[in-house]
Amino acid sequence: MDNNLIAASWLGLALVAGLISFRTGVSASLVEIMVGIVAGNFLVIFTTPVPEFINFLAGFGSILLTFLAGAEVDPKVLRSKFKESFLIGFFSFLAPFVGAFAFAYFVAGWDLRAAEIAGIALSTTSVAVVYAVMVETGLNATELGKIILAACFITDLGTVVALGLLFAGFDLRMLIFVAALALALVFLPRFTRWFFTTFAGHMSELESRYIFFVLLGLGGLAILAGSEAVLPAYLVGLALANVFMADRALVRRVRAIAFTFLTPFFFLKAGLFVSIPAVLAGAGMIGLLLLIKMATKFVGVLPVTRILRFGPRDGMYTTLLMSTGLTFGTISSLFGLSHGIIDQSKYTFLVTAVILSAIVPTLIAQAFFRPKIPTAGGALGSEADVDGEKEVTAIAIAHQTK
Amino acid sequence: MYGKILVAFDGSEGSWRALRAAIGLARDQSAELWALSVEEHLPHYAAAIGEFEEARAEKNEYFRKLHGQAIELAESDGVRLQSAVLPGHAVQTIVRFASQGGFDLIVMGHSGYSGVWGAFLGTTTDKVSRHAPCSVLIVR
Repeated sequence: MDNNLIAASWLGLALVAGLISFRTGVSASLVEIMVGIVAGNFLVIFTTPVPEFINFLAGFGSILLTFLAGAEVDPKVLRSKFKESFLIGFFSFLAPFVGAFAFAYFVAGWDLRAAEIAGIALSTTSVAVVYAVMVETGLNATELGKIILAACFITDLGTVVALGLLFAGFDLRMLIFVAALALALVFLPRFTRWFFTTFAGHMSELESRYIFFVLLGLGGLAILAGSEAVLPAYLVGLALANVFMADRALVRRVRAIAFTFLTPFFFLKAGLFVSIPAVLAGAGMIGLLLLIKMATKFVGVLPVTRILRFGPRDGMYTTLLMSTGLTFGTISSLFGLSHGIIDQSKYTFLVTAVILSAIVPTLIAQAFFRPKIPTAGGALGSEADVDGEKEVTAIAIAHQTK
Repeated sequence: MYGKILVAFDGSEGSWRALRAAIGLARDQSAELWALSVEEHLPHYAAAIGEFEEARAEKNEYFRKLHGQAIELAESDGVRLQSAVLPGHAVQTIVRFASQGGFDLIVMGHSGYSGVWGAFLGTTTDKVSRHAPCSVLIVR
């Protein structure tokens, strides 16, 4: 089929997903996965191998998504709550990684590398799912909320490092990649600041081109080294968080490019390989994987919240939110499938468990363990100033326009 | 009789009627007047913070303009209107806000943007009137 028609059919699916998202309030990304599942199982034109240019767009989508996830870290919060967020985030990664790996390897009989993918995919926490919940409850402005958000970033860092290193070959190419990445992380923040200041505002979008150049360059080196392009993307995002997020207009433009033309290809592709017959046949396995993820998050996170003297309700809420997952779980699973580490059935089990983990722990946390938020500054609270903007939160309400 | 009045304001025709009624009440009773808008349908289960933030920024902008117009309307009647925009579920948010803010009266339009679902499941107004911690005035 002609490439234009192939691209049009994929963008048609993205459009349908966007419309469903608009009507239902479920995120476009999650709907894109669902639409991808339907297309992959019922529409003949999507059951053929995915064309190479679509693979590239999907891959670039996952790189940009990971960069944005890294750049959305608030370094100030991460520094100010480092001990708490590091402990929660680290054990939130480690316990499910070990637990899911052990289950897949020793109980389900998966081979070593497939079990490693299971460990990585189920170790993740979805910072975006957590963030949305927190904004709606007003927790994002509280100490607890900031700790949880920072902990999510630590968990995700564990995930991308594991994904980037566990399957890498350690040879000269790896040495070159590590050297290039180290130099980039040291010099990029200062150089980027200079570049953005010097070349801002040109219609050829020099800042966006610069970011894409860096991400694809380092991503390419990572892949040559047998690593994964999301590793440098996340680290560069972290390194450039201050510089990048300071330019709101640039952030919006890059997000627009990502969500319009790149991430839909990634999420649709992620859904395309989920086999509905495998979901039906493996419902028990999917349930077990979800259970393992949530149980091991409890083992890893709940005791840490006790050590950090969280109240029981806050501890449960934190643990449940750290049990969510979506983007990095999907990226890890797709990495496993596209590198022949897992087959389509295992991929189906993992991605379905990951999708459920975005929904189930959130619903439980919101229904039964929603913390009581202290009211600040009088009956209706007071204004909270976040990043120079008036941020209205659930209890810190008084957005007094007069 | 009413010292603190909350008007639920979503920009629909019904909510404008409610606002005008609330301004009149606040002026006559020298009451404190607040307008509350709820940002519903922000994307759940987003893949990136940006996906959520961009949707929220659009809604913020919409309500910022709307509240500007509402404040002008109140000012023209000599009433000071304070406003709040919150994300969340409309009914829960309005009830919680009224409860925590110690409001005496909630003023709402008879029909807002509940649309087709509202016809089957009951409108926001129906549910707020059932769960509100204070009196509710439904304006037709």
